[in-house]
Amino acid sequence: MQLGFLVDLHLCMGCKGCEIACKVENEVPLSTWRLRVKYVDVGTFPETKRTFTPLRCNHCANAPCERICPVSALHYLENGIVNIDKERCIGCAGCIMACPYGAIYIDPQTQTADKCTYCAHRVASAMMPSCVVACPVEANIFGDLDDPTSNISKYIQQHQGDVQVRKPEKGTDPHHFYVGGGNVQLNPLASFRGEGHNLFNNLTHLPVGGHH
Amino acid sequence: MMHETVAATNAIVVLDVALPGIVWGWIITMNMWAKSIGTGIIFLGFFLLKKYPEQTGFIRFPMVVTSIVFIHIFLFFTVIDLHQMFRFWHIFFHPHLTSAITIGAWMATAFVGLLFGMAYAIYMKKDVALYDKLLGWTTLLAIPVTLYTAGLMAESTARELWQMPTESAQMILAALLAGSAAMLLLGGNKFSDAIKKDLGIVMGLSAFAAFILYMSEYIFGGMKAEEVAATLAFVKGGEYTVMFWIGQVLAFLAPMALVCLSLKNNSFYLLKIAAVSALIGLWVSKHVWLVIPQLLNMS
Repeated sequence: MQLGFLVDLHLCMGCKGCEIACKVENEVPLSTWRLRVKYVDVGTFPETKRTFTPLRCNHCANAPCERICPVSALHYLENGIVNIDKERCIGCAGCIMACPYGAIYIDPQTQTADKCTYCAHRVASAMMPSCVVACPVEANIFGDLDDPTSNISKYIQQHQGDVQVRKPEKGTDPHHFYVGGGNVQLNPLASFRGEGHNLFNNLTHLPVGGHH
Repeated sequence: MMHETVAATNAIVVLDVALPGIVWGWIITMNMWAKSIGTGIIFLGFFLLKKYPEQTGFIRFPMVVTSIVFIHIFLFFTVIDLHQMFRFWHIFFHPHLTSAITIGAWMATAFVGLLFGMAYAIYMKKDVALYDKLLGWTTLLAIPVTLYTAGLMAESTARELWQMPTESAQMILAALLAGSAAMLLLGGNKFSDAIKKDLGIVMGLSAFAAFILYMSEYIFGGMKAEEVAATLAFVKGGEYTVMFWIGQVLAFLAPMALVCLSLKNNSFYLLKIAAVSALIGLWVSKHVWLVIPQLLNMS
């Protein structure tokens, strides 16, 4: 079994329901996110549009975070999920330096690394990740990539030519796909990020884990 | 960053979370800087004891003490940078051998063991033969101990600027630069002019080679990867430009010039100034190179 995610960016309307569901389900502390939805405006008035891109851990088959972790706190589950053992983590932040997707953070409460686990605890109980359940338009599709009859496999087959991953040049082999995405959504260097253009207006940088 | 933005798309991030701050900051800079001195002085000590065995015997004890002090500064800053520092022992009892951190921690531990063995041999047993035997093994182990940080930076897949070939060369050159500078300060006027000249040449050539590497990255790095170009923008008119050039001047350009002047005029006092400048500049250079890749937004 190889679990994977696919987000259809044609469907996502930026409601941030997935973000909130993730926060609640996993008790993600303030100032940190396992999943977030990024808004990018494209075009010049009157030809403008707003894009919404949910960003989370890609659960790479060749995960740099797993490789660099000195104590195997980051490890693979049998279903392909890159999980984290917070009791074992020493907080060296090597995984943060290794992840090309900025998906890992230091939890300010536990002072250990944390990230999206595809809700491994829910998956173990045969439930869907909380973000999938919360999505009102079913833009989040989750399932077994090894099973050609799974929804995610069918979706990938039906949208061949329009399925992308983030930063394929890194060789991480992500198990998180996007349909309908462009360079603007998937490449952080392709959009201008000005001071103050974020959720907290003038707050553009946060201290790491509340320490140092 | 807007390296790929074009007027047609005019893409602007209008709502997102705040970016994380610097993860590896000055504590890691201290770590790398102290390790350069701790291993570098072993390299230079080995060289001097082989080339000038009659004149440099007195450095055996101060050399090993200096190395022990700086390796422990390195270890101290390594541990305090951990967000869960009291779990440091996990590296030894739950090791993950694909990680450069694990391999480095094990090698550094063995290196410290050998250093204490050398200190015991020369101070307690007064056994020069045993000391020199251990020094050979210590010098060999100092090479991977110096290089493992480059491996760690190479494993940091997100930071395109840090590439193993250049980082490993930079680490070795930093160790030679710092080692020769520390040895010049340690030996003082007890060294003969010939020894000072040799140390000056090692320092000058290390500075020259390291400067070439930095400039190669500075000029050509951005031509191969957009992330490197975006990273280098922070030292090409960006917020770390002044600090970058202060580091380059103090670590490499000033020592090169002072070494040349010193050798030309036989004024070895200048070498001490060059040594101090190199040690300060090395910290600054390493800090800038450590921080700038972390300023990029990864997502």
